[in-house]
Amino acid sequence: MAENASAPPLMIRGVTEPRLEVHKFRTGAVVGASALALVLQAFVPAKVWKGDVLADLIELPLLATLYFGLSRRNPSRGLLLGMVIGMAQDGLSGANPIGLFGIAKTLVGYLASTIGSRLDVEHPVSRMILAFMFFHLHNLTVVFSRRWLLAQPTPLMSVRILIASLVAALLAWPLFALLDKLRQDED
Amino acid sequence: MFEIATRRKPYVLLAVSLVFQILLLAVQVRRPDGARLIRVWAVELLTPAERAGSWALDSVLGGWTGYVGLFRANRENQRLREQLGQMTLRNSELEGRAAEAQRLGALLAFREAHADAQLLAARVIGGAGAGRAIYLDRGERDGVQPNMGVITPQGIVGKVLEVYSSTSQVLLLTDKSGGAGALLAKSRTQGAAKGTGEHLLLLDYVSNEQEVAAGETVLTSGMDRIFPKDLPLGTVVEVHPGNPFKQIVLRPAARLDQLEEVLVLLSKQQWEWERAADEGGAGAPGDANARPAAKSAAPAAKKVDRPPAPGPAIVPAPAKAPESTPAKAPPKDKP
Repeated sequence: MAENASAPPLMIRGVTEPRLEVHKFRTGAVVGASALALVLQAFVPAKVWKGDVLADLIELPLLATLYFGLSRRNPSRGLLLGMVIGMAQDGLSGANPIGLFGIAKTLVGYLASTIGSRLDVEHPVSRMILAFMFFHLHNLTVVFSRRWLLAQPTPLMSVRILIASLVAALLAWPLFALLDKLRQDED
Repeated sequence: MFEIATRRKPYVLLAVSLVFQILLLAVQVRRPDGARLIRVWAVELLTPAERAGSWALDSVLGGWTGYVGLFRANRENQRLREQLGQMTLRNSELEGRAAEAQRLGALLAFREAHADAQLLAARVIGGAGAGRAIYLDRGERDGVQPNMGVITPQGIVGKVLEVYSSTSQVLLLTDKSGGAGALLAKSRTQGAAKGTGEHLLLLDYVSNEQEVAAGETVLTSGMDRIFPKDLPLGTVVEVHPGNPFKQIVLRPAARLDQLEEVLVLLSKQQWEWERAADEGGAGAPGDANARPAAKSAAPAAKKVDRPPAPGPAIVPAPAKAPESTPAKAPPKDKP
């Protein structure tokens, strides 16, 4: 994906806002980071002790989608990246039909890019809050997809989901800081 | 181009992406009954459209079929109306034929019951005046002669007045000139029935001392030498005392206003005459009023050759042309 996009002045309710910085990443950084998140999510839990529990609590592909959506601030690119990551995650999981996480991460990518183009999401606390909220948005989308599209009864909320959302929020702080190192403009 | 499209309308791309993945899900997922979700969705999506299309098609076809059916029904209705008219006409014709067959059957039965009498069946082909004279389709060449009696199985009708080659004119009893020798069935009292010009007859020459009741049957007496004895003549309707005789009103036994087929008595006159001659001439009651019957004939009619009656025929009324018919020259007796 080309990283040379420059965002035009944003018009919100007829008011021209200050232009937010659109971050560019090193060549292959987006693809590499996303692929790494997918691989870790798919294969590592099977190799470590209590890997299945770990896989339930940690959603690396979601955090990757969220981070790149917030950073690149392009809704189209964000939703396409979310769609690719989600479908790849479905394919690697072997248990989900392809498209289940794809739909959820498409929405996450689109909304994250939209929010990222309007808000400054560089602060660690805001990143944690966004990670927490987007985790639940992702979870709601998956639950409703299971219920309505697949006719699979799925609980809307549980302690595990709540813990996982907190884990995602906590994990977003160091992970996003690590991913910030891949930005081209910060070199 | 892609940049512009994705930047200007990202929600379009979002919608396309979501729809694509939803369809992808539907292709992969199977319902518990084994049907793929995409098939279930397709059916659920297409069923209303299919129903709507089917409804629209059925409506159009139904409307067209109804229109065509109505058109055909209209044509069939017209055809059936024509057929009904033809059938009604045919039915009337058949009813007429059936009635005619019944009447002819009655005539035949009557003729067979009186095998000794020479009877000639004739058809009424016309009437004259107010129905007090009728025309028959039998004439001279059929053996019809003037003063021959005309009867039906129900009763006597009148007598032949004029004879032509193939037709003849009959004077009905009810004509003022018509009449017949009468006989009260109960008391066997004789009298003379006379026409009134209406639909009823008057029975004359019955004394006031004689008891006569309404409803009593009146027969022919045979004294007029036209009709045989004891043929039905009529029924007493009213009885009034008179001077010197009772005034008795009769209703003719035969329906003179509904005549279609009649019988002509070919031999009665000759037989009566012969019997009267054997008995020593016309001495029967009423012969004071009797005069030869065949005294008139149409000038255009061909005269009938027949022997003159040697004795006076007993006829209650003079045999002249009916008042309701055009006056005609009296026939000339031929030797």
